[in-house]
Amino acid sequence: MTDALRLPPDLPDDQLPRVLGEALTGLYTGEPRLPARAGGRTAGLAALHAWTGEGYAGRNFLGGNVSRLSMYLRHGMLGLREVAAHARAVMRGRERDEFLRQLTWAEFYRLVLRQEGARVLGNLEDPKYPARWTGTLPDDVRGARTGLPCADAWVTHLIRDGWLHNHERLWFAAYLVHWRGVDWRAGYALFREHLLDGDIANNALSWQWVASTFSNKPYFMNQENIDRFSGGRWCRTCRAACPFRASYGELETQLFGTQP
Amino acid sequence: MTAAQVRRVVWVHGDSLSVTDPALSACPDAPALFVFDRPFLQAVPVAFPRLAFMYQGVRDLAAHRPGPTELRVGAVPDELAAFAAAHHAAELHVTRNFTPDFARIVDGLRAARPDLRVVIHEPERLTSFDGPLRRFFGFWKKVEREVLHGEPAPDFPRRGHR
Repeated sequence: MTDALRLPPDLPDDQLPRVLGEALTGLYTGEPRLPARAGGRTAGLAALHAWTGEGYAGRNFLGGNVSRLSMYLRHGMLGLREVAAHARAVMRGRERDEFLRQLTWAEFYRLVLRQEGARVLGNLEDPKYPARWTGTLPDDVRGARTGLPCADAWVTHLIRDGWLHNHERLWFAAYLVHWRGVDWRAGYALFREHLLDGDIANNALSWQWVASTFSNKPYFMNQENIDRFSGGRWCRTCRAACPFRASYGELETQLFGTQP
Repeated sequence: MTAAQVRRVVWVHGDSLSVTDPALSACPDAPALFVFDRPFLQAVPVAFPRLAFMYQGVRDLAAHRPGPTELRVGAVPDELAAFAAAHHAAELHVTRNFTPDFARIVDGLRAARPDLRVVIHEPERLTSFDGPLRRFFGFWKKVEREVLHGEPAPDFPRRGHR
C-alpha cells in the first residue's frame, strides 16, 4: 500500500479549487482558483477551431491575433500535427507560413531537450557578453513593484492569466537578465511557476535565447519598441525614469559594454 | 497467453493529457492513472491554476475513453507500481517525453517492479528530422518543406549515374 491520496476524476469546476486545493495542500503556490483558460482536449479543440489566424501578420503587437494554444500543446491536449493541419487549411500565404514556422519552434525545443537532457537547465553556451548575474529574483520584481508600469504589468499578467504574449515574455526576460542582472534561471523559475504552458524545453531554452547562452547575441529592446508593439499602452502616461529610453546602439554599449 | 490477454495499465502524465495520446490510443480499455507528483511539487513551485488546468485535462480524457481513469497524489513510481499490482497488470504503457523526470520515474518503476514490462510509445512529431541541432534557423531550413506542405523533404541522395 502507498500513502496516496485519491481524487475523483469528475469534479465539476465549481468544486475543483476547494477539493483539489485540499488534496494538494502544501504542493502549490498562490490561491486555489480555476485557470484563466479551461484545460482539456475538448476546450483545446474548441479554441483551435475558433481560431482562424486572420491578422496573424500583426502577431508581434500585443493586440495581434495570436493563437493562445500553447498551453494545450504543452500538455498534449492538442498535437503539433493537428494544429499544423488546421493552419494549412484555414490560413493563407505568408501568414500561414509564419504561423507554421513559429509552431516549429515547439518541435525544435522538444528535440533540443531530447538532445541535451538536464543540461538545458544550465548555460548551454557562454554568454556573448561579460555577464555578471545574480541568482536571486528581486522582491520588487516578484511583487510587481519595480515602479515601471510596463514591467509591473508583465508580472501581473503572468500571475493573473498564466499566459503572456510572446513579446511581453521577451521584454520581461530582457529586463530581468540585462537591466537587472539576474540569472535567467530565476526568471525561468518564475515563468515555470505561473505559466499554463510552463515547461522545461520552451521555457528554459527561450530564456537562454534571450540571455545569449543559446543564441549568438543577447535579445534586448528599447522604449520605442515597447511603445510601438504595445500600442502605447504604458508609455503614453508613464512618468518613470525609463531605463529603456535610448537608441539600440546606446543601450548595447550601456548593457553589454561593447557591441556584442 | 496472447497479446490480447495481457493485462495492461496506462500511465498518463502531464505531457499526454488527451485521448489521442499514443499510449492511451493503444490501450483504450485499460485502466489509466494520472499522479500529481508529490516529491516534485514539494521541490518545484507551481501555481495552483496550472494544476487545475491539468486536472481538467485528466477529467476530459476520463470522460472520453472507455477504460477507467484514476487520479492520485503521491510518488509516481510507487503509485504506478501499486496501480499495476492492483490490476494484476503485466504491462504498463506510457508515451515518452524528453524530461529528465520521465527517465527518473521509468528507472524507479523498473527497479520497483522488474517483472512489469514498461512499453514506451513514441510521442507525435511534427517533423521527421533526427539529426543534431544547434540553431533554429538551420533546423528550419531542413524541415521547412515538410512543415509548410505536410510532406517529408525528398532529400535522400539519388543513386545511379544521373
